[in-house]
Amino acid sequence: MEPAVITKTKPAARVRKTISDKWYAFWLIAPAMAIILFFALVPLFYAVDVSFRKADLTMGGLQGWVGLNNYRTVLHEAKFWSTVVTTLKFTFFAILVEMGLGIFIAFLIYGATWGKGIIRSLVILPLATAPAVTGLFWRYLYDTQFGPFNYFISALGLPWHPNWLGDIKLGMTSLIIFDTWLWVPFVALIVLAGLQSLPKEPYEAAELDGASSFRVLRTLTLPMLSPVLTLVFILRTIDLLRLYDSVATLTRSGPGDTTETLTYYLYRQGLVFFRMDYASTMALLFMFAVIVASGFALRPLLARLAARAGSR
Amino acid sequence: MLQQKSSKASVILRYAVIALVLVAILFPIVWLILTSFKPADDIMVYPPHFIFKPTIDNYIYVLQKANFLQFIGNTLLDAGVSTIFVIVLSSLAAYSFARYNPGGGNILFFILTTKMFPAIAVVLPYFLIFKTIGDTPIGKFLQVGLDKPGALIISYTMFNLPFAIWLMVSFFQDIPRELEDSARLDGYNRLQVLRRVVLPLAAPGIAVTAIFCLIFSWNEFLFAYVLTRTDARTITVGVESFFTLRGILWGPVAAAATISVVPMLIFVLILQRYMVRGLTFGAVRG
Repeated sequence: MEPAVITKTKPAARVRKTISDKWYAFWLIAPAMAIILFFALVPLFYAVDVSFRKADLTMGGLQGWVGLNNYRTVLHEAKFWSTVVTTLKFTFFAILVEMGLGIFIAFLIYGATWGKGIIRSLVILPLATAPAVTGLFWRYLYDTQFGPFNYFISALGLPWHPNWLGDIKLGMTSLIIFDTWLWVPFVALIVLAGLQSLPKEPYEAAELDGASSFRVLRTLTLPMLSPVLTLVFILRTIDLLRLYDSVATLTRSGPGDTTETLTYYLYRQGLVFFRMDYASTMALLFMFAVIVASGFALRPLLARLAARAGSR
Repeated sequence: MLQQKSSKASVILRYAVIALVLVAILFPIVWLILTSFKPADDIMVYPPHFIFKPTIDNYIYVLQKANFLQFIGNTLLDAGVSTIFVIVLSSLAAYSFARYNPGGGNILFFILTTKMFPAIAVVLPYFLIFKTIGDTPIGKFLQVGLDKPGALIISYTMFNLPFAIWLMVSFFQDIPRELEDSARLDGYNRLQVLRRVVLPLAAPGIAVTAIFCLIFSWNEFLFAYVLTRTDARTITVGVESFFTLRGILWGPVAAAATISVVPMLIFVLILQRYMVRGLTFGAVRG
């Protein structure tokens, strides 16, 4: 810690000498750090404490210590693992669709000759909306009787009458379509910014060499774009794993339990069944997994991007 | 660069596909706003009506019933106060990180880690803690407890602080250090430099960060849902109050949703130059 290093300058502070830069920097971050430490760590330790106790809010609230019992119960529960699988399945397919479509749209706008600004401003609009609110409204869009989606399908003459939110084969797809609508703009916008900030010189050289456009894409564009693509991928993955709002308002874990993600199960355990002990245990396991994953993936990447931004 | 010699056909094809993408992206928002102005008879019909006589009945219904005005007030209060807290705390911290880099990046990354906490994992302990605090005299006095605005203000401050610090570090890094050095040579002390030179230069960045924080708090759902019941409810949760036992009142739902969505659309349009930077915590400076 810093204080040990500082002690020798401390007595001199009396002699109208101002505090050292190190202490100045420390005092500037102190209020924010105090808040972050307090409001992040207190709940964390509280959750750890609860996870080692019996805590059934319908029966006497916080009770005695039970050691690792909650962890044993949770890890042996089939339901826990099935919601983990649902979460991973959703994340996998959603990231595939969102990245694919987002990159496609970014290239589409990048190559546009006019109206780029307006197209970009329109594309980002879904990002402004509250997922919980638009998720609720999408129940109307998906409605089998009056919903415009099914109207368009039949207007195109297709003999298909999907029950978006009621068919157990379609529930997950409907959720992914909604999430894609909401978040494709995020992928497209950032990839587009990445494309626009690429240096021009390598392309001029490639053109002189007569390289094919596919070769240019594979050997120039994609490698130079990869930090941005990785960042988008990681940020989206973290968000998809944590997804809650749209499950809560659009599908409500249904039809059946086909869209019951870990987050939704956690919510039900804790605040519907009031088994805070199981819920806290799962929350900690989940948090640990997300943080470890994001820590390993995100940190080196952010350092790389910061170095690049600094060199410009 | 990639398509140097694009033929006329490929330009047309490109714009056709762009038009298709735009329709898909904008349709749900346009339909939401249209539905909010539809009379009840034009909503639950097949085929859907594209032409109708607009009415503001749904808005009148929403604003009169179900204490929706109070929800709007709560949302403004929570978002506004938490944003003020966040901006004061984060601008000082971000300046320090940008200039002096305390902790050599470790503290800064720790801050980002707290942002990666899944909200659902945080909300359970928050629920228990606010339940306990709410019953104490201090909790009652400060309005911190379940179904009290203080609980959401604290939650949103905590939520947005890591984001705001990261974003603002990138703005402070954009301010040339030479300006500060020359101000120091002119006899300003460090605090004067911060107040008279750095903060005015950082004002646009601070404003951008504040708008982002407002949007995030305004749109937040889970904490508002779990930590409030009636008095401190916010708009995002309140929209659901038009899912009644007699059926879903889609007109009022659409009107309430439009009230929630449209101000944020305007904010995002104002912010668009900074969207990329904001969404990537300052890592990509589009």
